[in-house]
Amino acid sequence: MWWKTLSVVLILYSLCTGLLVPLKSGIERAEPAYARSGQDVNIRFYGYNTFFAKPSGEAVRVWLYADEAHALAARQFRAINDTILEAVFSMPVNLPDGKQTVYLNAIIDHPAAGASLLPSAVELRQDTGTVAAALDSAWTAHPVENLHVQSGFSFPYQNVIYESIRNTYFHVPMWFVLLFLFGASVVYSVKYLRNPVPENDRRASAYAETGLLFGVLGLLTGMVWAKYTWGQPWSNDIKQLMTAVALLIYLAYFILRRSFEEYEKGARLAAVYNIFAFASLVPLLYIVPRMFASLHPGATGNPAFGSQDLDNTMRAVFYPAIIGWTLLGFWVAHLRIRYQRLYDRVMDIEG
Amino acid sequence: MRKIFIIILFLAISLPAVWAEGNRDYMRETGKINVVVAVILVIFLGIVWYLVRLERKLTKLEHQIHDAHERKN
Amino acid sequence: MNWKSLIPLLHKEFLLEFRQRYAISGIVLYVFSMVFVVYIASIRVTPPVWNVLFWLIVLFASINAVVKSFVQESGARQLYYYQLADPVALLLAKIIYNALLLFVLSALAFAAYSLVAGNPVKDPALFALVLVLGSLGFSIAFTFIASIAAKANNSATLMAILSFPVILPILLTLVRLSSIALRLIQDTSYTRDILNLLAIDAILITLTFVLFPYIWKD
Repeated sequence: MWWKTLSVVLILYSLCTGLLVPLKSGIERAEPAYARSGQDVNIRFYGYNTFFAKPSGEAVRVWLYADEAHALAARQFRAINDTILEAVFSMPVNLPDGKQTVYLNAIIDHPAAGASLLPSAVELRQDTGTVAAALDSAWTAHPVENLHVQSGFSFPYQNVIYESIRNTYFHVPMWFVLLFLFGASVVYSVKYLRNPVPENDRRASAYAETGLLFGVLGLLTGMVWAKYTWGQPWSNDIKQLMTAVALLIYLAYFILRRSFEEYEKGARLAAVYNIFAFASLVPLLYIVPRMFASLHPGATGNPAFGSQDLDNTMRAVFYPAIIGWTLLGFWVAHLRIRYQRLYDRVMDIEG
Repeated sequence: MRKIFIIILFLAISLPAVWAEGNRDYMRETGKINVVVAVILVIFLGIVWYLVRLERKLTKLEHQIHDAHERKN
Repeated sequence: MNWKSLIPLLHKEFLLEFRQRYAISGIVLYVFSMVFVVYIASIRVTPPVWNVLFWLIVLFASINAVVKSFVQESGARQLYYYQLADPVALLLAKIIYNALLLFVLSALAFAAYSLVAGNPVKDPALFALVLVLGSLGFSIAFTFIASIAAKANNSATLMAILSFPVILPILLTLVRLSSIALRLIQDTSYTRDILNLLAIDAILITLTFVLFPYIWKD
């Protein structure tokens, strides 16, 4: 029983923290997004979850950042409100390494909310006028340093994804539940072949059935999330394809089970098919990434995430969520097994 | 039970469409938080749907056991 | 396993096929009609479409060719075989026979298809290798699935349902390799794909040997 309690506790924990913990400050966009060298430019930064107007001990600092060695600090700026910051930059007369265009990342450092970054915020072009030979000293006068880190628990901010990053704790665990349940189903299919008692078959089929349920949920939630971040619900992503194929295998498994009149024969052949199909699914993990690009993080077919996609605060919610949902999956499967056991007994008594 | 469930499902599917009416993009505003709500809703409804189905099967089984008892007595 | 029994079993398969010539001619006709459908349905076949259509034709022809390999003999006769020879040897004979059959079929399909839709193959050696590997992989997967499906009544439908998810990794790799042979994608490191394919075949054939004893007993 303890694991059922644990699953409830972990899911509640992941729901509460997953929904309540705030996002880090971020920059949504900069306007205008282009500038010419040697000009004074007035750039507005639109922030998300930012506190530009909140008074703080130290000053807010703003940079446009080209690379490690080259960054421009804002000459002056003012906060219009909490989410809009207007900064004036004196663009240098030439670009580093004699380039014609440079994409500058915006960095806004707030003492309390920490530093936030917008990649390729401003495109800086070389003006066709006179080009000085020596690099403008503005590039190196104010290097980016002493950045603040937001104290406390918060989730990373990403453009386009925004708050829906929280779906990591609800959509992704579905995939893990599917994997564990289908794995358990295969294990019990092997057990059934070695020891053909009805209990092993009951377990194999119940795990497959609940795995199917969670697979469908993972696919549906993925489609909802994809609609509002990737723009369309289905984009032939490898993970979508893999899940779809796994679901097809288990649909075929149930059709196979039901196409025999004798129970024992159906159970045995279904177990054989279960093992065979699951094993042939494994190579797909290696093959498909070579053919289809993935939109999912950890793009090369890696089921886990890269360190960029999942920071430590997210891990503290993500892993408990996986354990919690997996236990819930096994709980539901257990109910299904107990029902089947009862059903078989009643049928035995009635003849 | 079944009717209630169908109504809930219908509402869950149609409400976002109603909200999307007009110029407001309900799913994309306020930092796309409603996408999270929709995802949680889908998972919840899916699991509840499965449990309702299981319960109906159990009810059927209970009736069967009940009938068998009646016949015996 | 008794390797000596393999030759007579293979001989039996050939003999059976020869006696029931209508079955094999049916499959050949099937291939030709599919090629013909492609010919009249599409005005101009570009190489990418050629590639996909070719493998679809081969896929469905293979399913139809293999599905009969367990159905054509009655249950009693099969039981008799299983007592005479090692069941695994019997299955191996069927796999080898089907691989040869599928290779001939796909070569035929290629000939007919390139006659009506043109021949965009730029690397014939690689393409021939792909055909060999393809018929081997199809044969292993389909023969095993056919042995499961043959136990049910509506085996033809079941065969298609059961084999699709299993064949997908093989099919995807084949399509990729043949598009390299057609120079649709530039990739010189296709040996890895070939190794992938061989690895899949190895996995499937091992499983086939382990699992087949659970299928044939009734």
